[in-house]
Amino acid sequence: MTTIIEARDLSKTYGDVQAVNHVNLSVGKGALFGLLGPNGSGKTTMIKMLTGQTRPTGGTATVLGIDAVTDPVSVRGRVGIIPEQETPPSFLTAIEYLEFVAAVRKISDIETKADWWFEFLDFADKKNVLCKDLSRGTRQKLMFTQAFIHEPELALIDEPLINFDPIMQDLVKDYLAGYVKKGKTIFISTHILEVAEEICSGFAILHKGNLLHAGPVAELTSRGEHLPAFFLSLVRKDRHV
Amino acid sequence: MFELFTAMLKEEWRVHSTMFGSLSFALFPFMIFGIAFMGAFLVPLMRTTLPAGNLTLIIHANYLMLGIMVGGFGLLGNEVMNRRFGQASLLAYSARSLPLSERFIFLNFVVKDTVYYFFLWVLPFGFGYIVASPFTGVSPASALLLLLTLTLAFLFGLCAVFFLSTVYARSRTVLGLVLLALGVGWGSLAIITGTNPVLFFPPLLLNSAFSYTNLLISCAVLGLLFAVAVLLFNPESVGSAKIYRDSFAPLMNRFSFLPNPPLAAKDTIDLYRSGSMIGQTIFSFLLPLAVIWFFLSLLGPFLPPHGLLFIFAITTGVIASTMYTWVTMFDSFGPYACLPVAISTLITSKLTTFSVLQLIPAAFIAVVAILSGEAAYLVPAVVLGCSVSFYAVGVMAWLCGLSPNVLVYDVKVLFVYLILVGIVLSVFTAIAFTNPYYALSAVILAIPTWLLVQKAKVRWDAVDPAGF
Repeated sequence: MTTIIEARDLSKTYGDVQAVNHVNLSVGKGALFGLLGPNGSGKTTMIKMLTGQTRPTGGTATVLGIDAVTDPVSVRGRVGIIPEQETPPSFLTAIEYLEFVAAVRKISDIETKADWWFEFLDFADKKNVLCKDLSRGTRQKLMFTQAFIHEPELALIDEPLINFDPIMQDLVKDYLAGYVKKGKTIFISTHILEVAEEICSGFAILHKGNLLHAGPVAELTSRGEHLPAFFLSLVRKDRHV
Repeated sequence: MFELFTAMLKEEWRVHSTMFGSLSFALFPFMIFGIAFMGAFLVPLMRTTLPAGNLTLIIHANYLMLGIMVGGFGLLGNEVMNRRFGQASLLAYSARSLPLSERFIFLNFVVKDTVYYFFLWVLPFGFGYIVASPFTGVSPASALLLLLTLTLAFLFGLCAVFFLSTVYARSRTVLGLVLLALGVGWGSLAIITGTNPVLFFPPLLLNSAFSYTNLLISCAVLGLLFAVAVLLFNPESVGSAKIYRDSFAPLMNRFSFLPNPPLAAKDTIDLYRSGSMIGQTIFSFLLPLAVIWFFLSLLGPFLPPHGLLFIFAITTGVIASTMYTWVTMFDSFGPYACLPVAISTLITSKLTTFSVLQLIPAAFIAVVAILSGEAAYLVPAVVLGCSVSFYAVGVMAWLCGLSPNVLVYDVKVLFVYLILVGIVLSVFTAIAFTNPYYALSAVILAIPTWLLVQKAKVRWDAVDPAGF
């Protein structure tokens, strides 16, 4: 299987804090991969390093065959990203933001594509409202749209369902499952374990910056284990080490 | 009140110290002290060409201008403060999570900023002058008086602009009427007394002849302006969903001749919809320059022929370079982090928008040249002002990247900025004084400007985007 994400000995320190500690990770094409971990375990830092938003202090990160450390702009050009906090520019309207994204990414026929997304995520009535006046849920819809509007080969999403209501969560889960069926790859970070078990094909567990486990979800379920219980036992054990 | 105030002071300290280290920020007032201390030794030398009263006038003008430039609190809404500090959760916009009104939090924010500026700029400068007084023949009493009147000059600028900016945020028409009334009052005073009204500036009057009555009147006026401004402050409404027509696509087409049209279109919309394009032009550009013009005009007799115009052009250039802070204050790197945009591309785009904004200072210098009867020197004055502005912004971009508002308080950054800009200002002031047309030689500053911008792009691409 083609490797889409490859992290080798990837590390990041912030002052005295070791956010990510020599992590090795591979994600293959067509996977819906979940990076799991408690708060502050290094998930967001991992996504930031893989998308060139922050530089690692050690190791290498290759995304779609591109070195994310030396050529982060090319990586961001090929992937879709939803960051941890929804930050569309305050003084653009929702449609203007999508036009802005389209212009930067050189996407054609943006009006048709944007209209499809406005209908699909049910926020057409907000298309001419300033981003600063949108609710958190609507901002998340907008960020979701900007990440997928160019149909990237790989999407990296930090907490994909955050701020969505249950109906929207269901819609988004279905969309993600359908997206990987088209041969695309999705890398999510989350601490909602039930969601990860439901939609992910592979997962990795980070705790205090260390990789505790990586493997397919099917391997776990074939042993009759559930991801939440497995995660909790592993993290609790690591806490006592 | 006090808990929130002290928490905000700590927060302000940490915002800066996490950016460039506690020591670099802590040393900032010491550097201002050092500049004032060493500068005080030049006073006896300067007195041989410039009367003491005029020196006092220049220093007061500088502090009044500092107050004017930091006093536009009325332009701040939650959104601007949020963007100014990225995604940091500041107390200043935490009204919804605390049992406090937005006006109360805003009052604390303004008082905190005023205290901060006082300790960063006003006190170290006055203290440097006081410490140097035994060596410069200036009596400690007059040095202490200078500290008091400089503080008042700073507060006058701050409170006046705070008041005007809150009026502006409420109603542009009312602001127009207030400015008109002030202009008529100013003109009447000039006609009736036959002197430059600047000489009636209360801190200057106090400095030349101290009286408790004048001090009390000054404090009362300041208190009144401040109180009215706080009452007029209009917290940004949250949740009002105003509908806007799509302006992005047409604007981007109009900017197709520029590098990065989408980024230029976004910057323009940011400036326009936030109200900053007009607000900043009035309060951070036109108003300080109008004030400085009245102060500088008193120095005419001590300057070479046409010197006043060129001093003014250089001052305009320096102030115009701060327009770079207007175009960077709305952006954290956050919205770009998910797009294929490098920091160097953003710097280019911000400098492009900055270049378009330079039409304002260019036009302003041209108008001043014509109105002052020096139209013959319009071109060299405009060239000098714009060249200085572009050079200063090149230095700023190299030193601060996309965070000039924050990094200026890094003592190393400010020191290098003052050296690099100060030398150029001195050289071109001397050149322009020698022969007004020699000011055209300032175009040569395009070379170091270009080199600085290239270095800025390489430098800031190599570091993680600023975060707190």
